[in-house]
Amino acid sequence: MIAMDTAEIIEQNAFGITPGVRPVCRLPEATRQLAARALAGEFGQSLRKAEFAIPDGFFRRLPTPNAIAAEAVRLIGEQAPLRIVTGERLAGAATLQEASEHRIPLTNFASVSHTTLGFEKALRVGYRGLRQEIKARLALPVTDAECDFLESLLVVIDGATAWHRRHVAELTRLVAATTGAEQANTRAVLEALRDVPENPPATFRQALQALWFFWDFQRLCGNWSGIGRIDKMLGPFLDRDLADGRITLDDARDLLAHFWIKGCEWCRGAAAQPGSGDAQFYQNIILAGVDEAGHDVANAVTDLVLDVVEELHISDFPIAVRVSARTPDRLLRRVAEVQRQGGGIVAVYNEDRIMRSLEAFGYPIADARDFANDGCWENIIPGKTCFGYCPIDLLQGLQDVLGLSAEAAGSPPVFPDFASLFAAFEARMARQVTEAVNRGVATLQPAPLISLLVEDCIGRARGYYDLGPCYTALSPHASGLPDAANSLLVIRRLVFEEKRLPLSALVEMLRADWKDQEALRRSIQSRFAFFGNDDDAADAMVRQVFDAFTGLVGSVRERFGILRPAGMSTFGREMSEFRKNRLATASGHHGGEILAANFSPTPGTDRLGPTAVIRSHCAVDFGRLPCGTALDLKILPATVAGDVGLDAMVGLTRAFVELGGIFMQIDVVDTALLRDAQEHPEKYPNLSVRVSGWSARFATLDRNWQELIIRRTQQELR
Amino acid sequence: MKRGVVFDIQRFSIHDGPGIRTTVFLKGCPLHCHWCHNPEGISAGPLLSLVDARCLHCGACVPACPRGAHAVQDGRHALDRARCTACGACAALCPGGALELVGRTMTVDAVLAVVARDAVFYRASGGGMTLSGGEPARQIDFALALCQGARAQGISCVMETSGCAVPDTFTRLATVTDLFLFDLKENDPQRHEAFTGMPLAPILANLRRLHDAGAAIILRLPLVPGLNDRLERIDEVIALIQSLPQLQSVELLDYHPLGQGKLKRFGLQPVGAVPPVADAQAAAARTAWHRRLSAWCTKPACR
Repeated sequence: MIAMDTAEIIEQNAFGITPGVRPVCRLPEATRQLAARALAGEFGQSLRKAEFAIPDGFFRRLPTPNAIAAEAVRLIGEQAPLRIVTGERLAGAATLQEASEHRIPLTNFASVSHTTLGFEKALRVGYRGLRQEIKARLALPVTDAECDFLESLLVVIDGATAWHRRHVAELTRLVAATTGAEQANTRAVLEALRDVPENPPATFRQALQALWFFWDFQRLCGNWSGIGRIDKMLGPFLDRDLADGRITLDDARDLLAHFWIKGCEWCRGAAAQPGSGDAQFYQNIILAGVDEAGHDVANAVTDLVLDVVEELHISDFPIAVRVSARTPDRLLRRVAEVQRQGGGIVAVYNEDRIMRSLEAFGYPIADARDFANDGCWENIIPGKTCFGYCPIDLLQGLQDVLGLSAEAAGSPPVFPDFASLFAAFEARMARQVTEAVNRGVATLQPAPLISLLVEDCIGRARGYYDLGPCYTALSPHASGLPDAANSLLVIRRLVFEEKRLPLSALVEMLRADWKDQEALRRSIQSRFAFFGNDDDAADAMVRQVFDAFTGLVGSVRERFGILRPAGMSTFGREMSEFRKNRLATASGHHGGEILAANFSPTPGTDRLGPTAVIRSHCAVDFGRLPCGTALDLKILPATVAGDVGLDAMVGLTRAFVELGGIFMQIDVVDTALLRDAQEHPEKYPNLSVRVSGWSARFATLDRNWQELIIRRTQQELR
Repeated sequence: MKRGVVFDIQRFSIHDGPGIRTTVFLKGCPLHCHWCHNPEGISAGPLLSLVDARCLHCGACVPACPRGAHAVQDGRHALDRARCTACGACAALCPGGALELVGRTMTVDAVLAVVARDAVFYRASGGGMTLSGGEPARQIDFALALCQGARAQGISCVMETSGCAVPDTFTRLATVTDLFLFDLKENDPQRHEAFTGMPLAPILANLRRLHDAGAAIILRLPLVPGLNDRLERIDEVIALIQSLPQLQSVELLDYHPLGQGKLKRFGLQPVGAVPPVADAQAAAARTAWHRRLSAWCTKPACR
């Protein structure tokens, strides 16, 4: 017996997820081993809190918030520990623990997430170009406040430059201290880094290194931006290098793999605390689709990214592929192949539908065509948007109207007919929407590093949270719509049409959590076709609620300079706060049950398979929902086995596009496997699942979250 | 309007012909295969299904039954199947959905209304409607009308068949069917009759007649361990395939004990015994079948 190399053992456990899926092996062995180490948490476990601080002396100047925030960035660039790992092909690491906790090291200011910064422009002009732009703006007349803001941006660039300078120095030292292959690799890393991101990159490798450096520095400073359209940004560099014979596809794939490996630098492996899952640092990637001029983006980088995800199964970068009726079968099949491996890493956007609704909302067509997301799936214009959302719980609104709040007591309200009940529900909704559209941006916190990378903060000389960006959007997001509609469906039929019982009696049953009413509760669950079953009555009720909500929100496109695009989400709140206070529903659910996620059917209520779910989901006019929503589908691996299975997955996506959906995440996963992973987490360290806008390794979810994932309805063949 | 008895309509079927399909299961089958996967489809009329796990023991079914088939004894529900005529009165009132009538009389339009709902998925995937059963040829007029109606809406029709019907049946069906999934259970006449209760010769004749008429056919061979997976049969199958040069492909179907599990729900007795065979032996036979037939198994559905 020969003892196995530890790295080999780690690697064997690292990528495998779905038994029976043929492992792919295109990357060099050294890269696979580095990936296995990252996934096992070696680098994530080495995170440390900052051991330096802004010196007291700095405060003698009584600095402004912008100046303090910029000084923190500068000190991080000067003093944060570097991590350069032998064999890695990109430089730069976000080594501070505060950052992985979404906090800005050295200050108490709020960190930024839920946006995708302007990396495309940053690659085009480099820090040099940004510096020139700031100085040109400072040369124009400015107020003291504007001057303070713009100067803070220059300090931020100083910090980034220091971080770069320290890497160059350390790599230079390492080149001198090593020999052979290690020296050659280190020298190649150094050469690719030397001129970027100060200057615009010239080659694919430089562009990849520059993108990593831009992105990783904002995250080192505690912010969690998405990445955005990586193939659009990097594809032209790779095309040129390939044409000139400067690089091979295999080498480009390997370099991209190193980007993905670095992307799981915060993965803590077995040391992760169970919660809502790791790998949810909002580092979203968008692939394919059209550019601002309407030309197709898909290129060699698109394919290589899918290759890397297929092989390493790294879920830390959730990927959304923009598809349309024009998308070639080849790309859709490739997407389906990766989706079928499980993990829910790759989702799809129906781009034509989204671009139309963004344009109708008022975005210029070029911006609408460039849409990406905020780190989950909400549609935003990357590099130009300050984004946030206000949750509106429609089901709670209905429960309030029915006298079903946790604290409500006394006699339930009386409604002579269904129309008057619905009118009361709508009035309640209007109150909720009013509150949302009157909200301002949550904070006047300084965010100079973020402002640097968002148009038009420099031009307006105003910060990210100060209406500096081209667009500031605070999106009213409905949740609980499927369950509100299902409840209304039951009430309309039982109380107002069949008159089987008065509303007050039903409300009393719900207050008592269906106690001693099991026959009625179960008959409601077994007799009603709820949302998700392609049932005309149920879907019409959903549409009625949807139209009421989107009609209200749609009447206020903008208020206080802030856009108000309607969206619909739960983002896992169906698992947490919704459960705590929710009483029983008329649709036959007990208080505290897990209800519908995003705009998907309530777990257990969809009985006719994915085609019916998709048709119900698409039965509304998504042109009224410019911020977007998500459909979560879960499919058993056996259902989509073989070539026929691939055809079916491609067919589901094509039909979803034709029916006018927005965003669909397909999780191909076996309940039995998840149960086994719950009991034996050590067997499945890298088993990933889609949670909501993000993916997470199953072992890092706490029990409640694991149950939610398991109970999301399985779509399977009988 | 033609009517037929349907025991299930399954959307998103993807192993019953190309693409995403809706499979309509028609009741009634002349064969009585020992291993039948859909034993509830054999009889022509409706059956009462009882899923114990869903029963609330509430007694709502007791007064509903005109023949007194239901009772609640010591707080537990009891069903006397001998009295049940499958009228469905109890199922209509069962709150938990434990009692269900399987096998509904439906019009052609009612079936097609369900089928048509997924038209966009058929277009997107090259799918359509599949008739299965039971033996769909058993309800020939209904099956014909379903296929004609589907085709009128541009929906393709696949038929899963045992090939057991009077010769004229398949001549008529071939005019409205895009693809036949033709199940062949055995090649030895005596064994065939022993395992299925029906003679082999008319089935083979129907297969050849369909083939010679130019119908698109995929030959499907259910492999049941210890019954029809003997290795000597492979040569007979190959000889048959070679005599049918226009076959699209051949698919091997694995046996699942699913049908046996369903029996209890319907109060049915097993049609015949399926001998337990060591996994290793069955797997070896399966491998041999796949290897020898791989030249004709053009699709991975040959799984």
